[in-house]
Amino acid sequence: MAEMKLLLEHSNDPEYATLKGYLAKGGYTGLGKALKMERQAVIDSVKASGLRGRGGAGFPAWIKWNGIEKEITKPHYMICNADEGEPGTFKDKELMENTPFLVIEGMTIGGYATQSKVGYIYIRGEFVDACRAMRKAIDEAYANGYLGKNILGSGVDFDLYIHTGAGSYECGEESALMSSLMGERGMPRLKFPHAPLPTVAGLWDCPTIINNVETYSCVPFILDRGGEWYATLGASTKNSRGTKIFSVSGHVNKPGNYEVEFGTTLMELLDLAGGMKGGMLKACVPGGSSVPIINAADCERAIIGYEEMAEVKSMVGSGGCMFLNEHTCIVSFIWRTAQFYANESCGKCTPCREGTKWMFQILDRIVRGKGQPGDAELLVDITKQIDGRSFCGLGDAAAWPVAGAIRVFPEEFEYFIKNGRSMVDSAESRAMAPKWAQPAYS
Amino acid sequence: MSFEVFRDVAKPIIAGFGITSRRLLQQKEKRATIQYPEDRREQFTRTRWRHVLTRYDSGLERCIGCSLCAGACPARCIYVEAAENSDSDRRSPGERYAARYEINLLRCIFCGYCQEACPTGAIVLRKDFELANYDREDFLYTKEMLLEPIRE
Amino acid sequence: MAVDEGHRTVSVTINGIEIEVPQGELIVESVKRLGLEIPVFCYHPRMKPVGMCRMCLVEIGFKQPDGSVRMMPKPQAGCTLPASEGMVVLTDSESVHRDRKGVLEFLLVNHPLDCPVCDRGGECPLQNNTLAYGPSTSRFIDLKRHLPKAYPLSQYVMLDLERCIQCGRCVRFTEEISGEHELAFRFRGASMQPSTFQLLDFESKFSGNVIEICPVGALTSAQYRFRARPWDLQTTPAVCTACSNGCNVWFDHRAGRFVRINGRINEGVNEEWTCDKGKFGHDYYNSTDRLRTPLVRKGDQFVEATWAEAYEEIVKGLESAGKDVAGLCGTRIANEGLFLFNRLFKQVLGSRSVDHRWTRTLGTSRVQTPIAGIEGKKGVLVFGSNPAEDLPIVFLRLRKAATRNGTQVTVVTPDVTEADAFATVASRIGQGDVLKVAQEIVDGQSELARKVADCLKEDGAIVTSDRVRNLPGGGEALRLLEDLAARCGAEFNCYPTGPNAMGAELLGVLPGDGGLDTWGILQGCCSGTIKALWLLDCDPTTVEGGDQALESAEFLVYQGVTRSEATAFANVVLPMAAPAEQDGTWTNCERRLQRMTQAIAAPGDSKPAWRIFSEVILRLQPSTPFFNPREIMKAIADADPRFLPGASDLPEEGAILSATTQAAMAGDGA
Repeated sequence: MAEMKLLLEHSNDPEYATLKGYLAKGGYTGLGKALKMERQAVIDSVKASGLRGRGGAGFPAWIKWNGIEKEITKPHYMICNADEGEPGTFKDKELMENTPFLVIEGMTIGGYATQSKVGYIYIRGEFVDACRAMRKAIDEAYANGYLGKNILGSGVDFDLYIHTGAGSYECGEESALMSSLMGERGMPRLKFPHAPLPTVAGLWDCPTIINNVETYSCVPFILDRGGEWYATLGASTKNSRGTKIFSVSGHVNKPGNYEVEFGTTLMELLDLAGGMKGGMLKACVPGGSSVPIINAADCERAIIGYEEMAEVKSMVGSGGCMFLNEHTCIVSFIWRTAQFYANESCGKCTPCREGTKWMFQILDRIVRGKGQPGDAELLVDITKQIDGRSFCGLGDAAAWPVAGAIRVFPEEFEYFIKNGRSMVDSAESRAMAPKWAQPAYS
Repeated sequence: MSFEVFRDVAKPIIAGFGITSRRLLQQKEKRATIQYPEDRREQFTRTRWRHVLTRYDSGLERCIGCSLCAGACPARCIYVEAAENSDSDRRSPGERYAARYEINLLRCIFCGYCQEACPTGAIVLRKDFELANYDREDFLYTKEMLLEPIRE
Repeated sequence: MAVDEGHRTVSVTINGIEIEVPQGELIVESVKRLGLEIPVFCYHPRMKPVGMCRMCLVEIGFKQPDGSVRMMPKPQAGCTLPASEGMVVLTDSESVHRDRKGVLEFLLVNHPLDCPVCDRGGECPLQNNTLAYGPSTSRFIDLKRHLPKAYPLSQYVMLDLERCIQCGRCVRFTEEISGEHELAFRFRGASMQPSTFQLLDFESKFSGNVIEICPVGALTSAQYRFRARPWDLQTTPAVCTACSNGCNVWFDHRAGRFVRINGRINEGVNEEWTCDKGKFGHDYYNSTDRLRTPLVRKGDQFVEATWAEAYEEIVKGLESAGKDVAGLCGTRIANEGLFLFNRLFKQVLGSRSVDHRWTRTLGTSRVQTPIAGIEGKKGVLVFGSNPAEDLPIVFLRLRKAATRNGTQVTVVTPDVTEADAFATVASRIGQGDVLKVAQEIVDGQSELARKVADCLKEDGAIVTSDRVRNLPGGGEALRLLEDLAARCGAEFNCYPTGPNAMGAELLGVLPGDGGLDTWGILQGCCSGTIKALWLLDCDPTTVEGGDQALESAEFLVYQGVTRSEATAFANVVLPMAAPAEQDGTWTNCERRLQRMTQAIAAPGDSKPAWRIFSEVILRLQPSTPFFNPREIMKAIADADPRFLPGASDLPEEGAILSATTQAAMAGDGA
């Protein structure tokens, strides 16, 4: 299977980011059809499509949409999670910059289906261009009656607001995002079963739908061509339907966003990106920095799909696919990852706050060439103490890559700890290693 | 003098004087008794007698006034009052030192629990066993009396 | 915080034992019903659960219809999980113990091991939990976090950032309980630290509580700093005598000297909180100004005397003054002392001039709502006085009512108050306008009056304090509002502010028929109609004309705990025991009678007030003396049946005396 361009079909066309160009390419037909349908029928067609959340967790979108109260007792809210902070993932950025109307249309359809009158797009603060593009598109949509009061004469109101983050990875977590949106500290809040679901009490304790940019972008196509049609995409997989955008980076010849159907193999994705650069494939992080790393052998048999990826003990995640060639030092790679999570932990819960820093301190020690015997086991123990014990998913996300790397490449860690230098010494590994640790590489 | 008298009275006396005279002629080191105030016995290494508050080599007091000795003391004979170090008047490293440290040696049973409880090794039981005094008040050893002099 | 959703109960299986608990009760509370414990750091029963520390992780499962149990894949925080039907909880499994060990290891990674010098050492939840559940060794060999130590957040609170375990209790306290929002977290991740905004002073009227709820020694008391270790201390249950709220406290003392005050639980009064005035305002116990021996004036000098000599002097002075004697008292005196003081003047000396009130206009207080009752009110009008200042615990209840129960609060005061933050209407009274504003509210014409009427229309209450009487026209304003409350069916509360002012009022330490009140007595001294004056722990020099009155009094007895300005004018000075240095009962502003037992010995020769009066009465009029406070309480109860609960064993939480407003003993005192 080759590239299947659905969302990204017109992403290179600057006209597509304008309302005129968007309409010319068949935009807003989905919304038009949706507005003629019953609200429940819209949700049913999303159900039929088998669309699952593209933000990382893969939670079926229709369950959220269907879980919202049918009789309005409180205002309902739509939130678009555009706080794309996962290292390695840059698909939402491209979607917002090049196909902003897909997001707007998807959210409007969602707003109609769930009777929400207000939507928020929470954009990562660093995405200035994406924010500008969205702003421009929203203004244009307002001017032409695609947002605001009485959309397309249907009597449906939907207002859309942009909120920019202030640079916290944690705010990509849905409850932390809502806290941040409400003006509180960007810390996650209690989740089910400790507290009601966001669809019951989310933003300002009102029913709230929160989905990823890519999820919303899929919705116009589902409504336009029918959920059943969408479900035919990726039919070879167990339970993953549609297409998925992968942000391919690392040692590949043509890094970038590639949209593929579920069921495509990982190697095909690698081929799309022009194959490996500078050496043989050593490992791959298929779904963004927080998913466990897989080795070359697993890459060969990995099939893109939520359940299929679990078979190689990894995840589709948010689609930040990093290919690493044979000259990469896995220890330094994980050191970088651990540093990111130690820096981004919000500090709310003990395992994540203390554990991420401790893991980084140990890896830092190892990379400095001062590793102690037993450090690898200690790291594994710490990941076990974090995984599943932390308040939100960030703790798990910080633990998985470390645990995964030690599981897949134990010999590299042992070698580094024992000899005080990397098993792989190359320009790549040096570039990745911290400046002060260079002696450990010679 | 009958045989019985010799056997029961004179003979033991003579034997006794014999032991005394033998001891008299023995080497000084082997003697059972010593001339106490002038001569002193070497004490066992782990002898536990009077407490001493020790110092670091820098001259700073080890005691941080944590009162753990008082908490551990089964006879409740230790009283500690702490105060805060200032840069101008530094008694011990860290934030805290003992402003008052008193041991009532009449109550003390020399069990050494205080020494065990001490986190800094400040209070140690040493070999000074001559603790007799004339007044009860004199058995109240204050910090000044317990503290080791600064070594030059 | 138990969330009681109606009265439905659900059955929960905890460690194999099935019990019924209210639906929605937090698991951490449910296990207490079985006498089990889930260790916690961030959880506090009076604050919203957050699940930050992860210490309370337990294994949770659900009974399936087929009878099997499906365990959840991850451990869950017991402090945030509400109980539901068929829930299975394991608090003692191997994996739970492993999780606790893991969390404690994480917490100790950056916690300095300075327990020996930490003021919390010995009563530290982190120490206790580590001992009970923690690992015996640490695998951490890297550099610990280094941050400022002993940073003074305010004159009362010290912050040690290294020791902080980021549980957020202090931050949540200022957000949820005191409502001052003074503390917040700065930075994130491992660098996260609680702090005031821009490191300004931690200005709060309730800052002392964060010291008590801090599970480590990060927030410590500046006053208690290095004063003692917990195992050095003896503690006695006591009642705070800083104001009329009568908070229940622990009175900690060492070697006969007062060391610190901690909050004690009494659901009816302070729950478990204390205010800063109460927690840090008991310096007088160790004051160098304490009176230790009776002093008798010889010419210009005070000479130390025995009690017998002092009494002789007093009897001489009082007898020469005949009936022209008067007594003024403060309110930090137990009921027993006040009763005998009253009896001395009204029965023995035949004077009717006794008073305990010091406000500019005098009046009696009226209290209809108990402190806890404020929580249930639909609307509350705060008039004239700042509750956070005058009635701190009433303020906390008021805030709880407004933020948790949606009570509508209207604030009408001269100055900005802390209550404005949660008030629906906050209106200011211009200088000297108290009466005008009260009139306006009663007339019901203005905008404000309509808002007040709306606030009080159903199950309302008016909260004010006797401080209003200090404002010009305040007494009249209170009378108007009392009428208004009666008209619209609201409860009227003019809480007294003196520690035992309510007791003094109930015992009738008020001028009898034809007797002089406070201002009359002071004037009487100046004009010579009062020849002998007895000051019981009060200092008239702080009020207008006080100096002159004391100067012109022929014979002056000063009886007090500490030296004051008034001491200098006295002929005889009597040293008196402070509240915790004697047995006695105290009546708080809601008429709750509470007993306090002697915690420490009174310094020097000082004696409790009741003993002094008992001995003086004996010298003036042969009678059977009282030998202990209980006998006096019996006599009080005989004279006024309202005090009957005090004659027998009082319950621990005290007993609220009945509200009959008759000034039963104002006239005769017997």
